[in-house]
Amino acid sequence: MSILTMVIVSFIVFSLMELVPGNCAERYIAFKNTQGQNITVEDIRAEERRLGLDRPFLIRAFSWMGDVFFKGEFGDSCILRLNINYLLSDKVWISLGISLAALFFSYLVAIPIGIYSAVSRNPIANNSVRFISYLGLALPSFLLALMIMLTTTVLFGESMSGLFSKEYRDAAWSYAKFMDFMSRAWLPVFILGWAATAFALQTVRALMLDEIGKLYVTAASARGISGRKLLWRYPAKHSLGPVINSLGFDLNRIFNDLPVVALIMTLTEMGALLIDALAFSNDQQLAGAILVVLTATIVFMNFVTDIILALMDPRVRQGLMG
Amino acid sequence: MGFFLNKSDAANDQNLKEAYFTASQGQLIRARYKSNRTAMFAGWVLTLMILLGFFSEFLSPYEPTMAGRDKKYENGPPQIPKFWDENGVSFRPFIYGTKRERSLKTNFRWVISIDRQDRRYLHFFVEGWEYSYINLDWDLPGEAFDLDVKALTFSTHLFGVDKGGVHLFGTDKSGKDIFSRTLRAIMTSLKCGIMGVLIAFVLALVIGGISGYYGGWIDHILQMITDAIRTVPPLPLFMALAAFLPQEWSAEAVFFVISSILGLIGWPTLARRIRTHLLSERSQDYVLAAQLCGASSNHIIRRHLLPSFTSYIIVDLMITFPYMVRLETALSFIGLGLIDPVSSLGSMMQNVSKADVLLNYQWYFIPVIFFIVFVLAFVFVGDGLRDAADPYSQIKK
Repeated sequence: MSILTMVIVSFIVFSLMELVPGNCAERYIAFKNTQGQNITVEDIRAEERRLGLDRPFLIRAFSWMGDVFFKGEFGDSCILRLNINYLLSDKVWISLGISLAALFFSYLVAIPIGIYSAVSRNPIANNSVRFISYLGLALPSFLLALMIMLTTTVLFGESMSGLFSKEYRDAAWSYAKFMDFMSRAWLPVFILGWAATAFALQTVRALMLDEIGKLYVTAASARGISGRKLLWRYPAKHSLGPVINSLGFDLNRIFNDLPVVALIMTLTEMGALLIDALAFSNDQQLAGAILVVLTATIVFMNFVTDIILALMDPRVRQGLMG
Repeated sequence: MGFFLNKSDAANDQNLKEAYFTASQGQLIRARYKSNRTAMFAGWVLTLMILLGFFSEFLSPYEPTMAGRDKKYENGPPQIPKFWDENGVSFRPFIYGTKRERSLKTNFRWVISIDRQDRRYLHFFVEGWEYSYINLDWDLPGEAFDLDVKALTFSTHLFGVDKGGVHLFGTDKSGKDIFSRTLRAIMTSLKCGIMGVLIAFVLALVIGGISGYYGGWIDHILQMITDAIRTVPPLPLFMALAAFLPQEWSAEAVFFVISSILGLIGWPTLARRIRTHLLSERSQDYVLAAQLCGASSNHIIRRHLLPSFTSYIIVDLMITFPYMVRLETALSFIGLGLIDPVSSLGSMMQNVSKADVLLNYQWYFIPVIFFIVFVLAFVFVGDGLRDAADPYSQIKK
């Protein structure tokens, strides 16, 4: 199922790439033109044949998809004339790391607070949780990033932007670089996690409220289980199922914010590269590759959550086994 | 409690009960919505915003485009109308005249100074630039298809001053009035959102409807496609689509396409919900009855199934709306959507992304506040409607 989804998505992405006016051959030749060579229409056609661009659309689509799936090879970027895998290698891991950390952070915050606000009758806590989650909906993370950036710049004179300090920017990975990275990465993690936290908070709270009034909880408390043990063993366990199920979509939401936040905070990772490819250089190969990587991660995440859910919930397990 | 009620109260109670049981779906929803105070308040705020947007031309003293810029008041701070100062009280609100100066003393920067002796009085219902509510100017290929219709043209504006300009929210770096631009931006976002939601709605209705009503392998294939589109993060996909727009297109064309893309991306979630609902509703007895009477599928979908969840669809649309607006804003913010001469909330927010602005031109942030209030109001109204439309929800007092 997830493989099929990937096939459809990559086909859509490839069709999108084809929509861009001009193809690789023209780009290469245009580049040669700037180098002072004279070119003709025949040259372009010849170049098209060399790159295999004269084949029909479907064949090209499937050969591209085949390369992506079986070799993990995205081909070359025509604009930068570099291999895309080489371009992306480091950045993919940084981006995924930040996004997953953001996801982890948002659940770390949302689950306990959501449960607490559902259980407690404290109106102040309840209302502030509601307010924060609404704010999370209304205040897009790029705005939040902007505010934090601007205030830190004005207050401390030094901006919090970027993922590395100057001295480490081009250095190879080392312990010192890693620590430097960590000291700066928490801010993007927080900002990316912000919206996801608000959503998860609301979900956890609503589900918990639903579950807590059910009879099995009353029965458990009648048996003398109380306090934290009661909460974690019975209603929390049940209400976390749908939350885990939504992991993939939360990741989707975080990826959604990634490029814009990257732009504001001048992060040097995949999101920034995507904006660069789309907004400035029209580099369709690079953009397509990034889209596929992002979606693949989400599909993989969905797959993992299905497995976690099956492990956690015997009902789901039974449904899968048939 | 009923035990202590006297007779007339009991009768009253009976009437209330009867009213409750005979109330239509719409009346019930309305009653439930009204008892939700936050949602009611948000509703009023939203109505106010929509009115502001709709009457933006009438309310704004200057054109929100380059044509309406004030060359003598660039990066000017907001001018707040006053009724009194140390020179006495006036019933007509006034602002001060300003002078712009650049010399050695000001370090060769343009500095705007206020002349407190020079009062400029606000006049109401003044004549200004022309605007039309119906303004079609299509430049289609072929002379015969060109369309240029202007109707409902007015030139009256709510307020203005006789000399110089009045800028309630200040001006931006090219002297455009931020007040006028903010109002126009609300309208732009509204239009964009409405169009996006409508397109998404139609697509979702058709696709979700087919998938849910017929089920079987059609459902299977359609669901696969829907799922695939749902997994792609919308903003990057949106960016990819928007990036392919030719640079030389006019602002209207870009606006139109951007809103269509919003719709093209937004449909899957809604389609999914429509499908689920139809699947559960399809096996109900009343559908079987209609089928036995020989009604066509088309008739059953339109006359029986759709009305069964109109309220849910409306609620869903309301909930989707702020996301559409947010997407558009994010896109314009990174410079792929509507760009600066067009006033949209996103393109105006792009102006605040510099530290310089926070230090010197804080009034650039006014549109941001409007944006947050706008989205929040929509979210609250959507939530209130959802609670109101859910027959099982209990309104907590």
